[in-house]
Amino acid sequence: MESKSSDENCNNPNSELHPSKLMMASHFLRALFRIQHTTTDSSFAGRSRKIRRAAYASMAYSVGTKRSWSSALLRKLRSRSRLRSPNPRRAKYAALPGKPRVARPQQREMDQAQVLRELVPGGTSMDDCRLLEETTDFVRCLSTQVRLMQAVVDSVSI
Amino acid sequence: MNENNKFGLENSHGDHLSNHSSGVSADWQFNTPAVSAAPPHPSTAASLVPPLTSSPFLSAPMAEAFVPGLWNHRTMSVGGSNIQNSTSAISSIPIGRSIAMSSEGMLLSAPPVIFPPSVPHFPADLGFIERAARFSCLSGGSFMDMNLLRQSQSVAPARKASKVVMETQVQNTELSMTRDKVVSLPAAYGSIDQSQMDTQRDRRSSHISNSESQETNFSEGGQEGNIDSSDVAGNSSPSDLGANKRKRTIQDMEKDQVQRGPQSSSDATKDNTETKHKVEQNSSKHGAKNGKDNSEAAKEGYVHVRARRGQATNSHSLAERVRREKISERMKYLQELVPGCSKVTGKAVMLDEIINYVQSLQRQVEFLSMKLAAVNPQLDLSGERLLAKNLRRSHGSPLSIAGFSQEMSYPQVYPTVNPSDTYRRTMNTRLPTMSGYKEPSMQMHNNPWNEEIVMQMDYDANHPPNAQEINRKLDGFAI
Repeated sequence: MESKSSDENCNNPNSELHPSKLMMASHFLRALFRIQHTTTDSSFAGRSRKIRRAAYASMAYSVGTKRSWSSALLRKLRSRSRLRSPNPRRAKYAALPGKPRVARPQQREMDQAQVLRELVPGGTSMDDCRLLEETTDFVRCLSTQVRLMQAVVDSVSI
Repeated sequence: MNENNKFGLENSHGDHLSNHSSGVSADWQFNTPAVSAAPPHPSTAASLVPPLTSSPFLSAPMAEAFVPGLWNHRTMSVGGSNIQNSTSAISSIPIGRSIAMSSEGMLLSAPPVIFPPSVPHFPADLGFIERAARFSCLSGGSFMDMNLLRQSQSVAPARKASKVVMETQVQNTELSMTRDKVVSLPAAYGSIDQSQMDTQRDRRSSHISNSESQETNFSEGGQEGNIDSSDVAGNSSPSDLGANKRKRTIQDMEKDQVQRGPQSSSDATKDNTETKHKVEQNSSKHGAKNGKDNSEAAKEGYVHVRARRGQATNSHSLAERVRREKISERMKYLQELVPGCSKVTGKAVMLDEIINYVQSLQRQVEFLSMKLAAVNPQLDLSGERLLAKNLRRSHGSPLSIAGFSQEMSYPQVYPTVNPSDTYRRTMNTRLPTMSGYKEPSMQMHNNPWNEEIVMQMDYDANHPPNAQEINRKLDGFAI
């Protein structure tokens, strides 16, 4: 199952059991189907938000709780889902990773570690060493997810 | 006096070792007794074993590298090769904490070893044990464990060994002796103990306080910068100060124990001066000898971090160096991940690149999700294509696209239901053949189409040969 990501895992002794691409694909596609079938009447923006959340959720779900970033991400998603029902507007404030925020170009030079902490879910309570570990895993999973989504889009759009 | 002679041999050997290998070798001489001493402490070992299982990722290879090294050491074949192997094995250990854990795990597995009657095979493993115990303590282990280990080490008499190796060896042997009192030694050690216990038992009582104080000194000064290693060992946590404080509290506790002894105060001072002197000797001696040996072994891991020549031996700087190396190691991994960063050097630039990459990935996710939301209405009909495409992609090339013809005959876009019907028919024909596949959770029971897709997916995962047939029909557009 890991044939595609095996090459990038071989030269990285840091890599543990990377979630199977198939698992991520199955999670994501199921979520996609669910979104499509259950919320056919929602707006385009709402659907895109749901899909984005489904992407992160499937990514975190396939990794499980082995990584702190996945646990933090799952926690964030679950808290968001709980917030959504009582107050949909509040859900916007709980920022998912990648949500467009105020651009702060100056901060990047000032404190890169802090910026990285904000990017990686659950990174605020980590030391630099662990932050880099989590960033590695997060980048790997994120790139896999992006490739997966790209494949889905490609197959659909053809 | 046989012991002394043997220690002399050991010392020369130790020096020889330290000459052509990193100074870690001396530590490894110390470490072998730890293997012998470890079994007497099943409680401590047991307490340390659970962390072993949860040790970080590098612990496993380190543990494996550990065992041969230690065992080679124990057999005491004069070949420096063995010790070099052990040292090389040690040098390959990047994380000290896991070393401690793995060492403890190995110590658990070490019981069957029967040490030769000659004492010299007990190098300063006890120092290692102490450090390991310290790590466990700092990581939440019980104080009792550390006390046990400390007391075992503390049994060492106030011997004025010319070389620290001797002293540690003696300490180790006596530690093993005293351990009899604390924990019943396994029978394997009986042969070794008898000869030494008689000679050392008389010294034991008088030196218990000394040993306790010595163990504090041992832990503090240590040999060859053990003080730094021990302090560094404690610095597993990010804050070095906090770890140092913890270590000092432990040492304070040790000192409290020491002062319970009759001769605590005087001996403590004497031993303190002694160990300080030893530390100076060690640092100078090993600094000189290890000038060229300052490989990564000198600074890897908590246990064997040692000051390189010309470098500050301050515990803070050593810990800082360990931390920096860990960070640089992880930056290397990230460099491999982030495309186009292989030639980038420097942490700041690298971090910038990483941040950019993460942000770009997140933007891509958002963009693709918008795209998917736009094409969502058509998703239903082409779901099997998505699945097949992803399946084929994840399975790699083995699933070759044997027959495109059927796929290509379909219209490019599936707005109508006809292609889906044909798909459904093909999949329905395949359904009876699917047997024994496992479907973890069917979240879309209401949609038989999705069920088929999901089933096909799992079927594909479980029965690749049949999946080829399916993919043959469905792979046309997956490129």
